[in-house]
Amino acid sequence: MTLKSVLTGAISGAVIAVSMPASAETQLNVVTGGSQNMVEYVTDYLGPLFEELHPSVKVRVTGTGPGDAGSQKILEKLEAQSAAGKEQWDIDVIVAAQKKTGEMKEKGLLADFRGNIETGKMVTRETAENALGVYVGGYVMPMFHSQTAIAYNPALVPNPPESYDELREWVKKYPKQFGYNGIKNGMSGVAFVTGWMYTYSGDAKTLQNGPYDTAKKDSWADAYAGLKAFNENVTFTPGNAGTLDMLNRGEIVMGPVWVDMFYSWQADGRIPPNLKLKLIAPGMPGQPYYYATPAKATNKELAEKFIELATSPEVQAEGIVNRFNWYPGIDADHVKASLDEKVWNKLFTDVTPLELAQKGKPFPIGPYFDDIKEGYEKQVSN
Amino acid sequence: MSGQSMSVGPGRTGALLLVAPALLMIGFLFVYPFGYSVVSAFTDNGEGSWHIANFTKAIEFYSKDILFTIVIVSLSTAIIGILAVAIAGYLTLGENPTAVAILKWLYRWPLFIPFIVSAQLMRTFLAKNGMMNNILTSSGIIEPLAAQSYLDWRGIVITFVWKQTPFVALLVAGAMASIDRTTIDAGRIFGASRLRILIELVVPQIATTLMVGLILSYVVMLSVLSVPLMINAQSPTMLTVDMAWRINSYGDYGVANALGIMSYLFTGVVAWFYLRQSLKDKGA
Repeated sequence: MTLKSVLTGAISGAVIAVSMPASAETQLNVVTGGSQNMVEYVTDYLGPLFEELHPSVKVRVTGTGPGDAGSQKILEKLEAQSAAGKEQWDIDVIVAAQKKTGEMKEKGLLADFRGNIETGKMVTRETAENALGVYVGGYVMPMFHSQTAIAYNPALVPNPPESYDELREWVKKYPKQFGYNGIKNGMSGVAFVTGWMYTYSGDAKTLQNGPYDTAKKDSWADAYAGLKAFNENVTFTPGNAGTLDMLNRGEIVMGPVWVDMFYSWQADGRIPPNLKLKLIAPGMPGQPYYYATPAKATNKELAEKFIELATSPEVQAEGIVNRFNWYPGIDADHVKASLDEKVWNKLFTDVTPLELAQKGKPFPIGPYFDDIKEGYEKQVSN
Repeated sequence: MSGQSMSVGPGRTGALLLVAPALLMIGFLFVYPFGYSVVSAFTDNGEGSWHIANFTKAIEFYSKDILFTIVIVSLSTAIIGILAVAIAGYLTLGENPTAVAILKWLYRWPLFIPFIVSAQLMRTFLAKNGMMNNILTSSGIIEPLAAQSYLDWRGIVITFVWKQTPFVALLVAGAMASIDRTTIDAGRIFGASRLRILIELVVPQIATTLMVGLILSYVVMLSVLSVPLMINAQSPTMLTVDMAWRINSYGDYGVANALGIMSYLFTGVVAWFYLRQSLKDKGA
């Protein structure tokens, strides 16, 4: 399946490249961060849909890779074109992770476009205004929201821990059966550590909303010491996919994962169908991916139309929720109407909407986020 | 090119023109970025005054990783050396033509497999319930409970050795094939065992080639990101992972470049041996 889609992607890329000079078609350049599924979303679904509505346009997709690393590449490309004083930048639509999108907005690389599109009114969630402490209202449209949770095997763990406190006790009883990927190998591990710091640093609200205080990180020593002791009884996994792989092979029975990845892997038969999810208290973070358009995009109007289509209730229902198992980017009420009850419920089998509202947290604001990661490197892993 | 052939060649300007493209490439693609990263390592991303804060931070955060990197790469280089000599030695001194032919055909395969693919192979092969342990358990060699994951420092060493041994073995086997067979025959006539012939007669004659192969492997392994990233889930980890992490997670080129400069120093030491050796060879 993946190989096939890579091949079709490569072939369609080649076809576009070949057909370009022959016709006077407009090319819309979409650059997307995120894993392979993000690229597939545009090549297999959104791109063809947009081309159908705009026959003279070709959508060309480039994937830059998962995590902040992938979005950092987009930031660097835009920054370079800006520094070179170019009047037209060759990226029309970007899809990027939260923290880096905030940085792009701060550096003046993005355009204020939300007021120009119809669907702009359909987002009221806090993440549409605030990207880890940076005000991004008007500059972004959430593509989807994703959430981390603990995946577990109910055959072996009939009563999974309900909270971080219970999990700490659980790993003492069953050493090496819980696995996560540290912080350098993907965001599900970072999310787990962030949830830990929300629980034990004493002040989750300030971490999420500011204001920033440099001295705050000095008060986290106990939380890190606890995590270091916790890590003694943990198996480390190689990456987000690595955690799922190890769950699949039965090498661990519990570990933090991205909810969308979990459901997609389950649908593909890459992890056993009986595995379940648990969002533990007081909560774990999740994040949106954003659509945005660069300040000097070559095809500004088309880019806006593309984002408008991508965030329309129908596309959010069919593409985001039904096909790719993400939580919708625009407000759920608008999406629910376009969806079969069954499909909607599938998203909320293990994590109920109420749990999601109570225990789904944002990541911390940028500077605290860096402090948390550096503190982990210094006090837990070094 | 010696002085003599220069005089009958295309002349000084022509010669300069001929090397110009190569020189420009090195200038743009190596010297300029290198200078830039040195400046960035000693300043705040190329701006402000000179300081060594990036280096103190790099050591404070990654001292274990620095040590880990040196140990892993050195250990891998040593094992590669031993295996390469063993393989090339058997190819040269082996007496069973079928075994030699099979080995000759087999040993080069990893050469054609990129590091990232090797890492992915090893990830499924060396895992706790991976292929290797499954084979060992089902054939009764180990108990299922004794199976353990090799996806840690051992996994990195195994992958490096598997990937780089053929390269060194190829060089060494070539060198062994071209040494004077009479020295080997002389050893045999006096009744020396094959192992003794290999260690005392053959290896000293190909030592230079062996060293060059090992130095090149050392430098390559020091620069690989995919293998430690995909195989080693734990900390400590290798410097390449830390460099990528500093940039991707914090946008911090200063500390990343400081770590880079340290890697340059590690390669610099062996590069110095390499240059000294090749100058000596030219002189001889």
